[in-house]
Amino acid sequence: MTAEPRPDPSAAGTGAMPRDADVIVIGAGPAGMSAAVELSAAGLSVIVLDMNASPGGQIYRAVEANLNEGASHGLANALGAAYSAGQPLVAQFRVQSNIDYRPNTVVWELRTDGTVGWQQAGRGGYLRARHVVLANGAMERPMPFPGWTLPGVMTAGAVQTLIKASRLKPSGRVVLAGTGPLLFLLADQLLKLAVRPALIARTDGLGDKLAALPRLRPAALPALAKGAGWMANLRRVGVRTVTSLTHLEAVGNERLREVVIKAAGKTMRLPCDLLIVHDGIIPSIDLAQGAGIAMEWRPDDASWRPVTDAHGLAKPVSGPSLSPGPNCVWLTGDARTIGGADAAAAHGMHVGQTIAASLGAVKSRHASHSSPAKRYAQAMAARPFIDAAFPPGRWSVELGDATIICRCEEITAAQIRSCAQQGVTDMDQLRGLLRCGMGPCQGRSCATAIARLLSREFDSPLPMPFRGRPPVRPVPLGVLAQLQSLDPDLSRSEALDDKPDASSRGGIDV
Amino acid sequence: MFDRKNDVVIIGGGLQGCAIALFLAKAGSKVTVIDKTVAGRHASGVNAGGLRLLLRDHREYPIAVRAMDIWAHLDQFVGQAAAEASEVQLQTSQIAIAMDEDEMAWAGERERDMKRRGIPNEQLLDGADIRRLLPGISSQVLGGLVSRPDGHANPANAARAFRMAAAAGGAHFEERCCVVGIDLNGSGSWRVTTDRGTAEAEIVVNCAGAWGAGLAGLVDENLELRSMALSMMVTARVEPFVAPVVIGIDRPLSFKQSAVGSLVIGGGIAGKPCLEEGTSFTVMDRMVSSARATVDAFPCLSDIPVLRTWSGLEGVTPDGIPYIGPSARHPGLWHVFGFCGHGFQLSPAVGETVAASLLSGNIDARLQPFAVDRFQAGKPAQRGRNDAA
Repeated sequence: MTAEPRPDPSAAGTGAMPRDADVIVIGAGPAGMSAAVELSAAGLSVIVLDMNASPGGQIYRAVEANLNEGASHGLANALGAAYSAGQPLVAQFRVQSNIDYRPNTVVWELRTDGTVGWQQAGRGGYLRARHVVLANGAMERPMPFPGWTLPGVMTAGAVQTLIKASRLKPSGRVVLAGTGPLLFLLADQLLKLAVRPALIARTDGLGDKLAALPRLRPAALPALAKGAGWMANLRRVGVRTVTSLTHLEAVGNERLREVVIKAAGKTMRLPCDLLIVHDGIIPSIDLAQGAGIAMEWRPDDASWRPVTDAHGLAKPVSGPSLSPGPNCVWLTGDARTIGGADAAAAHGMHVGQTIAASLGAVKSRHASHSSPAKRYAQAMAARPFIDAAFPPGRWSVELGDATIICRCEEITAAQIRSCAQQGVTDMDQLRGLLRCGMGPCQGRSCATAIARLLSREFDSPLPMPFRGRPPVRPVPLGVLAQLQSLDPDLSRSEALDDKPDASSRGGIDV
Repeated sequence: MFDRKNDVVIIGGGLQGCAIALFLAKAGSKVTVIDKTVAGRHASGVNAGGLRLLLRDHREYPIAVRAMDIWAHLDQFVGQAAAEASEVQLQTSQIAIAMDEDEMAWAGERERDMKRRGIPNEQLLDGADIRRLLPGISSQVLGGLVSRPDGHANPANAARAFRMAAAAGGAHFEERCCVVGIDLNGSGSWRVTTDRGTAEAEIVVNCAGAWGAGLAGLVDENLELRSMALSMMVTARVEPFVAPVVIGIDRPLSFKQSAVGSLVIGGGIAGKPCLEEGTSFTVMDRMVSSARATVDAFPCLSDIPVLRTWSGLEGVTPDGIPYIGPSARHPGLWHVFGFCGHGFQLSPAVGETVAASLLSGNIDARLQPFAVDRFQAGKPAQRGRNDAA
């Protein structure tokens, strides 16, 4: 149910803009669902916008359909406890009466004044709330290498999507390459689906484990036990593993035929039907960045993350912005800091409670709940060890000249290096020169790799991502043509004075 | 820190500044171009690249016609490789479409008026003509005007072409260099003080675009200018189907298909300008009218997704044509800015005529309509719409 738009006392004096809800939550993964449940339980009206057809996010994708009574027991078993853990949260999310849940909805713009541009099935518009919780999750770190654009090369996340949403599983000779917990989780799931990988080629090595040991904390032990279990399974059935992978190449004409791997000094060629790659996950920053939220570059794992306080309140960049007035965007879950599903759910709950308290709405407490902040800290305890033991982003350090970095416009590492050698170290200037980042993905698949190229090889100061402008996701012309603005000021068409006179027209070329 | 003596200092490394620098340098002048960011960073590099005579103010026609000649032989001015990179396409036509009776009546009047002025290139089209030239166009279209010599170019590469050619000709560029003061030194020449050094010259040319009026303010000269963040959007690639550029008459439409197939849509949509910070924001709420005009004209494009938008800062004068000419207050100072969103096509001829005027000391007659003091008391109002009668 949607609450009636009501005047917001905090907006007094600003023309009392109408609101569609108290809070808009973007994303229905563990963080977004938890935040929405807390807000709803406190009596606030919540609109949840999500790209997927059902709640769960990436990790719990299609969990209701896959775990219901009629579903295959084999799939549930293969996906394991880490997947079925999502079921209670989804159930709790579904029963909340104050949540207006809108699946299959793509958000293409976010503003710091609480305005959200959306589209769904050929319709679109703007919504506005007093607060926006951005819980749009993470994406896999782009992992460019020669041949990565060939059909037959997929990311671990994409393979998981096919398993969960379409109940498809790989066939033929499967090779996994890269690093990070998801790679080993997927390998374990594949084994349970009776798919035996021919090889796992890891970019991490023994040295990383030794270096990581001092970061081990007791609170991390459950997570590590889970990981050790996956590894033991792989060893037990004799899946071949190599470490310290330094070169990877996918070979084939129309599609993948074989992979070339160099690990620990030895090169091997392997016939292959499906190469699954993964190099850790990074926050999805597109919406936050488009809204003008400040980004910080993490040189350790070559990714950006939005700048927020401990509660998740975002910090806009200093300087001019589209929306004057205070920021009301919050970030939570992997979109804020990579931490996995448990951390995301705990932080989402914390953000929900914080916003509810700020609006004077407090729900009756369950005494049994430990504080979400504490649960979040526990869930994050294993991260320092995991990040050191499986260093993500290592791959994008040594990119061969011929490697395509921007796959939309087919721009190679050599072209980017050549521009940088001529003094271009600004991402936007590079985009103007090469068109890298101008394609349909809007730089999502190349920005981190380009930033790393620039920062490692040319010592550029901390790189800033491409300038983000709406729409962050494509919007059909017909949808845009029918859009209703919420701001009289903004919708007033301000153009050149060009009701032309037959003899003099100040036409424009833009 | 630099400390340079020059014949001419040009402030602003956009297309106009670079074109003037090119022609001056070729004639042997010692020129420095100062830009607060990098040459071609703003309106020059991000406009739609229209090479258009169609619907141009008749006062601009003389230099616009000369500019077409230069665009057609660009290699002779900027070199073979840079000219190729500029992707100049001429003779592909620009077409203004009339979607209602008012627009059609206006188009007819415009054609008669231009004929009367001896400008023959704008021709009236009926609905059948338009449908033949523009497959996919709405059956609602009643007709319009075509200018067949027109076309388009790649603005970012063209801006770079003029910058590189000017540098190759001997012009000196100081980029990321901000002008903080302009004054006369003891011997009567100009001293341009920047955050990185000073440049002295007999002549200063203000080519500062959207910032031109601010720069004129440094020497107490008040020139009216509105800054706008003119915005555009670009769609996913579609099969090539339209070669001419299509523009609206009353509607906010400017539409072309790029070489790679994407549709570049503008029409004077205003974003939010932030002049002081040198940036701007696109405002999707205002893209609506332009999207609607596009879909009205080409209903078949309704499902084509818009991928991205951008905007650039531009200066707009009260009468829709630029300021080009000597300062009304200070000998040795010229103003060349305020191109109102259609300076791209004019730029090579502006470069040539301004350089020639500076070198000879006689103002090229084609520049007379752009005199910077044309709005001052005692001057007859030159608003174009008044001389239609």
